[in-house]
Amino acid sequence: MIRPQSHGTSANGDEREKKVRVPRPIIEVRNLRKEYPVEDETVVALDRVNLAIPQGQICCIFGESGSGKSTLLNQLAGMERPTRGGVRIGGVPVSKLSERELAAFRQKHLGFVFQSYNLLPNLTAVENVAMPLMFRGVPKEQRERAARGVLKRVGLGHRLGHYPRQMSGGQQQRVGIARAFVTKPEVVFADEPTGNLDSKTKAEVMDMICAFARDFNQTIVLVTHDPQMASYADRIVTLFDGKIVDDRLNQPASSVPSIVPSTPAVQGADR
Amino acid sequence: MRFGDILRLCRQNLWRRKSRTILTVLGVIVGCCSIVLMVSLAQGINERNEQTLKQMGDLSIVTVYMNGGGTVNTGSGTETIKLDDKAIESFRQIEGVSGVTPMMNFPYNATLKAGAGGRYVADYVQIMGIDMDQFERMGYKLKDGVMPAKDGQVLIGEWTAYDFMDMLKGGDMRYANRGDGSYSCTYNEATGECEEPEDQEPFFDPMKTQITLVTGADYQGDPSTMQMYGNMGGTGTQSETVSLDLNVSGVVKADGNKGYATSSGLVMSVDDLKALIAKVNPSAAKQGTTYDQVLVKAADLTSVPEVESQLKSMGYETYSYEDMRKSMEEQTRSIQIILGGIGAVSLLVAAIGIANTMVMSVTERTREIGIMKALGCYVRDIRVMFLTEAGAIGFFGGLIGCVLSGLISLGINLIGMTYFASMYGVSTNDTESLSFGERFWQALTGGEDVTRFSVIPWWLFLFAILFSTLIGLLFGFGPANKAVKIPALDAIKNSE
Repeated sequence: MIRPQSHGTSANGDEREKKVRVPRPIIEVRNLRKEYPVEDETVVALDRVNLAIPQGQICCIFGESGSGKSTLLNQLAGMERPTRGGVRIGGVPVSKLSERELAAFRQKHLGFVFQSYNLLPNLTAVENVAMPLMFRGVPKEQRERAARGVLKRVGLGHRLGHYPRQMSGGQQQRVGIARAFVTKPEVVFADEPTGNLDSKTKAEVMDMICAFARDFNQTIVLVTHDPQMASYADRIVTLFDGKIVDDRLNQPASSVPSIVPSTPAVQGADR
Repeated sequence: MRFGDILRLCRQNLWRRKSRTILTVLGVIVGCCSIVLMVSLAQGINERNEQTLKQMGDLSIVTVYMNGGGTVNTGSGTETIKLDDKAIESFRQIEGVSGVTPMMNFPYNATLKAGAGGRYVADYVQIMGIDMDQFERMGYKLKDGVMPAKDGQVLIGEWTAYDFMDMLKGGDMRYANRGDGSYSCTYNEATGECEEPEDQEPFFDPMKTQITLVTGADYQGDPSTMQMYGNMGGTGTQSETVSLDLNVSGVVKADGNKGYATSSGLVMSVDDLKALIAKVNPSAAKQGTTYDQVLVKAADLTSVPEVESQLKSMGYETYSYEDMRKSMEEQTRSIQIILGGIGAVSLLVAAIGIANTMVMSVTERTREIGIMKALGCYVRDIRVMFLTEAGAIGFFGGLIGCVLSGLISLGINLIGMTYFASMYGVSTNDTESLSFGERFWQALTGGEDVTRFSVIPWWLFLFAILFSTLIGLLFGFGPANKAVKIPALDAIKNSE
C-alpha cells in the first residue's frame, strides 16, 4: 500500500490538519505542462494543470478529442514525462521515477482498463487476468486462483479457459476489468473503457468498475468524451485546450449495487 | 517474473507461429549438420592418416645415424663425434627418452649351413646386433620361441629359413610370400596369367636344427654357391674362416623398420656380435666400436620433436616419422578449416534466419510488449523472453542437427566400409564376414583395421549445440533490444 507521504512537521501543516480533516489526496498534479514538438513549432497539450484526487473518488476527466485528456492520463500513469511540473501518486513522484521503478510501481499500485481491451491473444482469460501477478513473480497456482475469483465476480466463471477471440467485446472488456482489479491497486486508470461497446454493455461495464471501486475504496480516473459515462463519476473535471475549465462534484447517476450482478441475462446481452 | 513463466510464454509464442518457427529451426538444423559433417569428414581423414602412419612404423622411434666425417662445430673449434657406447649413454640422459639401442651390422660376409654335411646353404646373411634388454621396448616382437637367455644364443629372422638352398638339388629353394610385396610368380600358359606358387614348408625348422655360421675377414661366400654362380667373386684368398655352431632360441617377427635382419638374417646381442667380430678380425676390434645406427625411443609422441632436436644439436643426423606426421597433420588441419568454413557459412545463413524471425516477431508483438510494459512487466524480463526464444531456436536446431548428422555420418561410414574401403588402400576387415551388427558397431566406434570416412568426436556434438545456441542468442540480441525500447504508450493508444 502507498503511505501518504508525511509533509514534515511545519506549523502550517499541523495547523491545517487540525482545522479540516481532509485526507491527503492520493493523486496530486502540480502545475503540469506538456509540449510536443510538431515540425518547427511546439504544441502545448497541457498547460498549468493542477489537480488533487482524494482516495476512493471516481474522477472523470471529460473533454472533446484534442482537449488533452489522454495526454493528462499518460502523465498520471507515468507513460510520458511532463515538460514541467510533476505528478505524485501516494506521495511518489511518478514523473521522476526510472523505468524500472515505474514498472515496479505499476505492478503494485496501478491498474489499467483500455478502450481496445488490450488482452494478449495467445493467453486464456485466466492467464490474461493473472498476468500482472505473474510479473510480480507470484506462483502459477496462486495467481490463477486469484484470477478465477475475480473472473467469477465479473460474471465470466464459465469462460475461464477461453481465448480473447472466442469472446464478445463486452466479455473481453470484463476480462480487462478483472485484470485491472486482480492486484487490488490503489488507483485504476480507465481510458474510454466503453468506447467500443454498445449502450447496454456500456452501462454494465461502468457499473462493474464503480462496484469494484466502492467495495475496496479504490480511486478511479476515468477518461471519456461521453457525457453519459461521465455521469457515473463522483466528480467531473472538464478539459479544454489543455486547461481545466470546469471542476465540479457530481451525484452519480445510477444507484450502484455493491455486488456486480452475474445473472445469465447480463452474460447473454452483449453477444 | 519467474524463469519458468518466461519459458512457458516462450513456448506459447514459438508455437503460435508454428510453421515459421519450424522453418527457422530447419535452417539451424541444416547449418549445424553441415558444420558437424564437414568437420567429421576432416576428422575421418585425420583418423586414416594416423592409421597409415601407424602401419609404417613406430612413430615414437627416432633413428640416429652419422653423416660424413662426424665433426660438429662447437664454437671453440670442431669436435669429432662418434656413435659409440659413450654417445648411447648420453642419449639415455636426454629427457623424454625411454629406451636406446644400437643397431650394429656384421661387416663381413657370412654363410649359414645346416643339414647333413652342410647340405642346406644360405649365403650373404645379414647379422644384426642390438641391445637385447631393449628388445621389447623398441618394438621388436618374437614370433616363436624365447629370448636368448645365455651367451651365444641368437634369434633368427622370420623368413631366414626360406633363404636356404638345397645344394644336393642344384640350389632348390622353398617358397613363401613374405608379405613385403616382393613375390615371385610363374607364367601359366593355360590361363595366361602369372601365378604365385603356394606357400611351402621350409626345408627344416631352424629352432630344432643345428645351424653353422661360416665367416672370415676376407670370406667371399660358400665355395659351392660360388661355383654355382660362376665364381664371380675373386677366389684364392679364403684364408682363415671362422666356423661357429649357432643356438637359435627364437624367431623374430619381420619388421622392415627395424633392420633387414629381422626378415632374413640373424639378430643377436651387441656384445655377442662384438665378440664375433673380435674372433674374425682381432685387430679391427681393438680400435673400439662405433655403430651404424642407434634407435632412440621417446616416452610418448609429444616428446619426439624435443628429443629429435636435442639429438640434432649434438651433431647427429636423425630420422623419424615426426616430419611426415606433422605435414600430414597440417594438411588435415587446413582441409578441416576449409570444410568447417563451408559449414560455418550455412550456419551464418541460419543465424540470419533467426534474426529475421525475431525481428518479425518483435514487429508483430509491438502492441503486446507495450501492454506488458504498461501492466508493469520489467524491461529485463522482456529482454530475457526474446533472448530465450532466439536461444531456444538455436538450441533445438543444434540438438536435432547433431542427431541428424550422427545418423548421416553412420550411413556414410556403413556405405564407405562396404563399397569404397579398397579404393583408399586401407585394409578393412572383410565386410562379408562381419554381421551387420558388428559392422554397425565398427562404423560407430572405429577400430584398428576400420576405414571410417566420417568421425565425430563427442566434443564436436557439444560444440555444435553450444555454438548454435550462442548464435541464436547473439542474433536475437538486436531484436530483443528493439523490443525493450517499445514504449508502453503504444499500447494505450486506441489503435485497433
